[in-house]
Amino acid sequence: MTGRMGSGSIWRRGFSPPPLIPYLVAGDPDLETTADYLKMAAKKGVFAVELGIPFSDPTADGPVIQAASQRALRHETALESILGWLSGISPENLPSLYLMTYFNLFHHMGVERFCREAQRSGRIAGVVIPDLSFEDGAIYRPVFRAYGINLVGFVSPTTSPARARKIVRESRGFVYYVGLMGTTGSALTLTDETRRIVRDLRQWTSLPVCVGFGISSGAIASEILEFADGVIVGSRLVQDERDPDRWKKTFEEFVSSAGKGKG
Amino acid sequence: MKGGLTRESMKRKGSPVLPDMRGYFGEFGGRFVSETLMSALLELEKSFRAAWREKAFRDEFRETLADYSGRPTPLYFAESLTRETGGAEIWLKREDLNHTGAHKITNAIGQALLARRMGKSRLIAETGAGQHGVATATVAARLGFECQIYMGSEDVRRQALNVFRMKLLGSSVCPVDTGGKTLKDAISEALRDWSRTVRTTHYLLGTAFGPHPFPLIVRSFQSVIGQEVRRQILAKKGRLPDMLVACVGGGSNAMGLFHPFIGDESVNMFGVEAGGRSITPGEHAARFAGGSIGVLQGTRTFVLQNPDGQIENTHSVSAGLDYSAVGPELAYYRETGRMTFDWVGDDEALEAFQRLSRTEGIIPALESSHAIAYGVRLARAMTPDQIVVINLSGRGDKDVMEVSRILESKGEVGS
Repeated sequence: MTGRMGSGSIWRRGFSPPPLIPYLVAGDPDLETTADYLKMAAKKGVFAVELGIPFSDPTADGPVIQAASQRALRHETALESILGWLSGISPENLPSLYLMTYFNLFHHMGVERFCREAQRSGRIAGVVIPDLSFEDGAIYRPVFRAYGINLVGFVSPTTSPARARKIVRESRGFVYYVGLMGTTGSALTLTDETRRIVRDLRQWTSLPVCVGFGISSGAIASEILEFADGVIVGSRLVQDERDPDRWKKTFEEFVSSAGKGKG
Repeated sequence: MKGGLTRESMKRKGSPVLPDMRGYFGEFGGRFVSETLMSALLELEKSFRAAWREKAFRDEFRETLADYSGRPTPLYFAESLTRETGGAEIWLKREDLNHTGAHKITNAIGQALLARRMGKSRLIAETGAGQHGVATATVAARLGFECQIYMGSEDVRRQALNVFRMKLLGSSVCPVDTGGKTLKDAISEALRDWSRTVRTTHYLLGTAFGPHPFPLIVRSFQSVIGQEVRRQILAKKGRLPDMLVACVGGGSNAMGLFHPFIGDESVNMFGVEAGGRSITPGEHAARFAGGSIGVLQGTRTFVLQNPDGQIENTHSVSAGLDYSAVGPELAYYRETGRMTFDWVGDDEALEAFQRLSRTEGIIPALESSHAIAYGVRLARAMTPDQIVVINLSGRGDKDVMEVSRILESKGEVGS
């Protein structure tokens, strides 16, 4: 499994990282704090960080991330401003970064313009766009690829096997398996179905297969890491974002659970 | 299928078959949803296309419309309004006479029959003015579905009567407190519910909006409006109308009236958006006047958004038009020049609300009042041998309390 993590194009350091992808909302509670969190994540050498750009209508998110997005929208968190802000942070204080937001923000900036500026910044490994379906993404995939920006593919429990094969083939960076039916922040209960689907996905791709949505405790994270390559932790961390001490504590718990999970 | 909606007849008239296989009308439309919802949309499209080809399904749909909802609705010559206006003949398509008081029931019946065919046991819906919520609660009661309606808390306040009706019909109503607390926020919440419950639940979307195949499904069911108008006006006047006018929230009553006339070049089509208080951000819902192309809630279309791409809140006196985006098919026909769009503000709509009540003894919905106001404007500039058909999409009973409150605050209580 370490080999798979190492072979993933998002992993750029020479040692085995904790297979953890924390999710942060940029600008919650403010950008200085977000920068501190990114630095901590870089220091722990996590697999990657999903940096959420707040959007006014986050249809795939539950109440915790909705509220954080509303708070963050009060700051300078437009997609373009965030790219500029990241360029001002020294690379050693940044983990491998995936920008996560809804398609309208990329569409509004212009996908090609975004890619050009993201590439120029040298800070962006890829993007995670929950409402860009595989079909609608077809015309944009070549643009992301031309600029070396990984567009992560989503698979959910309702995705048919034939469809999942197509999605993982076109995915770049890692594969995002949505572990539960619902929005972010619901509670995930592990089923045989989850294990079976992740096992199948891992056979169809050499990319890391990461499980997100509903990873509410270190215990669930380590359980998932028995069969998946990584875990994405969103709402549970976002919940503590306004309190740096609590966030740090929760984050470290997840780092240590993730380490254990990989045994 | 009568009324010129088949693939063959569209080809005969030289129009492209829309939407295309990916759900696009030209550059508008698509399926911008999370992967969790994709399988449901693919299943829905397949089921709809199969059902719509089946005579038994179409027959049951038509019979239900006739016996339960009271179709066909009349096409009524508004003689007094015509005389007072001076100009073209004004005809009203009386969708307000449908069961539950608006055109919304037609789509609700169609989709509920489809949901039953797909083996779903639960319906969810968003609602703005409450008309679509009531329509969905009604068919849920009749066909035995569990039903949950999402409604912005601002709309819950101003449409209290409809909230009570939905509860009376056995549905639960969930007030949505996020964003502007109106229709957009109700749709987001319904999409979130659907992503949790997609295996057992059908999302009965109420307008010609959202991800493919909803714009296609809603327009197909609602096209009965335009099909009837065509038959009725030919029977009464021996010719087609010169102008069609409909209000545009998402676009279901407009697409329903317009679609069967797309191939008739002599028929002009006007969609009327809500101008609210003024065309400045946050004060209106005129997407074509103040918006730009964006992606919201599953579709690529005209959207009200700020310079960063964040969606703007809207205002309209009518809850049903109070929405930040517009149906993709309407955006397409605007671009091709086949349809024209304009807006009417709160005050002019309120004036039309009272005018139609006074001249014709018909209290229109505030949504429809926008179309009435604009239709009167058009008719005035036309000649008496010309014909304007206005879609009177709903009745105004739900609005009388709110209008009375507004008029009182302006010191203009109707005497």
